[in-house]
Amino acid sequence: MEHSFASPSGHPQPHQRHFNPYSENGGTILAIAGANFSVIAGDTRQSEGYSIQTRYAPKVFRLTDKAVLATNGFAADGNMFVKKVRQRLEWYRHAHSKDMPIRAIARLIQTMLYARRFFPYYVYNILGGIEEDGSGAVYSFDPVGSYEREACRAAGAAQSLVQPFLDNQIYFKNQTPAHGTSHPAHLPLDHVLELVIDSFTSATERHIEVGDGLEIYVVLAKGSTPQVLDRWQGVTEMTTTQDGERMFVIRRNLKRD
Amino acid sequence: MFLTRSEYDRGVNTFSPEGRLFQVEYAMEAIKLGSTTVGIRTPHGVVLAVEKRVHSPLLESASIEKIMEIDTHLGCAMSGLTADARTIIDHARVTAQNHSFTYDEKIKVESVAQAVCDLALRFGESVHDEEAMMSRPFGVALLIAGNDELGPQLYHTDPSGTSMRYDAKAIGSGSEAAQSELQDKWHKQMTLQEAQILTLRVLKQVMEEKLDQHNVQVAQVHSVYSHPFVHCLTASQVTAEKGFEILDETSLKGVIELM
Amino acid sequence: MSIMDQNGGSVIAMVGKDCVAIASDLRLGNEALAVSSNFQKIFPITDRIYLGLPGLATDVTTLKERFRFRVNMYTIKEEREIEPETFAHLVSSTLYEHRFGPYYVEPVMAGISKTPSGGFKPFIAATDLIGCLNYAKDFVVAGTASSKLYGVAEGLWEPDLEPEDLFETISQTIMNALDRDAYSGWGCIVHVLTKDKVITRTLKARMD
Repeated sequence: MEHSFASPSGHPQPHQRHFNPYSENGGTILAIAGANFSVIAGDTRQSEGYSIQTRYAPKVFRLTDKAVLATNGFAADGNMFVKKVRQRLEWYRHAHSKDMPIRAIARLIQTMLYARRFFPYYVYNILGGIEEDGSGAVYSFDPVGSYEREACRAAGAAQSLVQPFLDNQIYFKNQTPAHGTSHPAHLPLDHVLELVIDSFTSATERHIEVGDGLEIYVVLAKGSTPQVLDRWQGVTEMTTTQDGERMFVIRRNLKRD
Repeated sequence: MFLTRSEYDRGVNTFSPEGRLFQVEYAMEAIKLGSTTVGIRTPHGVVLAVEKRVHSPLLESASIEKIMEIDTHLGCAMSGLTADARTIIDHARVTAQNHSFTYDEKIKVESVAQAVCDLALRFGESVHDEEAMMSRPFGVALLIAGNDELGPQLYHTDPSGTSMRYDAKAIGSGSEAAQSELQDKWHKQMTLQEAQILTLRVLKQVMEEKLDQHNVQVAQVHSVYSHPFVHCLTASQVTAEKGFEILDETSLKGVIELM
Repeated sequence: MSIMDQNGGSVIAMVGKDCVAIASDLRLGNEALAVSSNFQKIFPITDRIYLGLPGLATDVTTLKERFRFRVNMYTIKEEREIEPETFAHLVSSTLYEHRFGPYYVEPVMAGISKTPSGGFKPFIAATDLIGCLNYAKDFVVAGTASSKLYGVAEGLWEPDLEPEDLFETISQTIMNALDRDAYSGWGCIVHVLTKDKVITRTLKARMD
């Protein structure tokens, strides 16, 4: 788009206008892996600048019976990316007659993101679920596909608030175990859920882009019992198969101011 | 069948009124001229064996290559126009590598067989006015042996683009006699060594020359499935996991002596 | 790159039960290059007031001296020690004098104030670089790791912590926030103030 404007000297000057294809829609996502479960959570506020576009826009999506993807950044890119991943999962199911294992989904996401290296999806992804060996898994990605398997990860607007808290509470960073004892490698489910809720209420308190609602997906490995979840309000089971992994979502309110 | 030959055997894109594609059928005939190839699946792995026709005493028999690796966990043996197999195996190798690149896991044997069949039917395909990439069907059949999360498997693919899974299969010139021999001798709980010996015995029966380590080629896949999570293998485990392995002349000689 | 982030550094103050705590890192850098691992940015003003000055190092040093001068003048003229609330206003007005050419620091202060009835009350406050005061009931933070400090403190802090528990809480907060900030770290120092004593401890932290 070129327009001519008169400059002080009277000569027309070319003007460049620019279309910015990206925006940033706030919100925060978080995932924690346990020994035989995985928890993936995200708030539901979607904003642009100081305006709240909606108080309920899910950022966490069920991919398969044992995999959940959380996206954060530019919402339009995030939603389209999830669509494309789901399409690839369906094609894979047809070609290889099985559900894609989470490790394979992680690698697929890398190749899909890197394919757009020079016009990236403006999205930070966190993939959570159950690995083939039954262990809880969390994979985190940058927008162009660099990825890593971890025990916990926060991303998005309040990443800087939440991640150091998790370092301390999940990895026991800067904590020395009492003599003759050691820190647990994995925490129990109810403890993890408490930490997730604490993280989001803290982030809501101090960050304007976080709040409204909280969706926590819980994926349990085959054979593990969901008794812990009886204590929790607002639990919906999303499991579709029998004798497999079980999936639950916990919906809660966060402050709306 | 040659009696019904007519104008319809010219184009690869044309069915005969009886519903046949002659060029594909002729391609299957080409395989029946090829050297005999045998494959046996056991619970412990798969064995492939091929006859190498050494037409001349001046021919370096080691240069005849009828068994090839596709990926570390699978490979194939061929019969028919072996030159055509190059194209197919190239395709299979690329497919397998693409799979592990994209999904960080080993491709299934069935998926490789399917990829080979997809390619087999590409003859006569053309876009707009462009020349077709392949003018005729492949004149080669494959026995694909591999090991994946479903255990050891043996697949047969032919020029018609069909792939089927077998416990034991023979293709090539001596395939009829060989197949009935396999049907007689194959049993569920064979060891890998029993399978090796059986493939060679079957080949021996249908071969004109006396079987030795120069005129046969043997390959095997063990059923030890390396799980993607087993990252830290000990030294002994590394040697145990051989994947797809074409036997060298020394170990082949050893098997022949056991016959 | 803001001038505020040129040298790096962070400070946090917390309220406990009849006590307050203030902590900072010890790094001095020039952007990404670390220069010193013993750069103090918390200064005692009186026996019951400590002041943290994260920001541009040259202004840290200058302001420290200016506040020393002004507090001394106050003590001489008034013939009494300055109270934390008064000191907070001194900080605020000193910074606002330079409204259009500010010192690049965001002071954080912690103190124990005397009540008219003879009791003691914990006090914390922070200001921005032009002196806008922020009193908080729980904690205040400033510096390059401020967002991290907010996150961890919001998760760990609870009301009415005894001095030793407050020490543990502020220490865990600052250390874990520092480990996620490239511009702060290289050791830290913690002061816990009660009505009759100050506990100062230098923490063994990651030096990377």
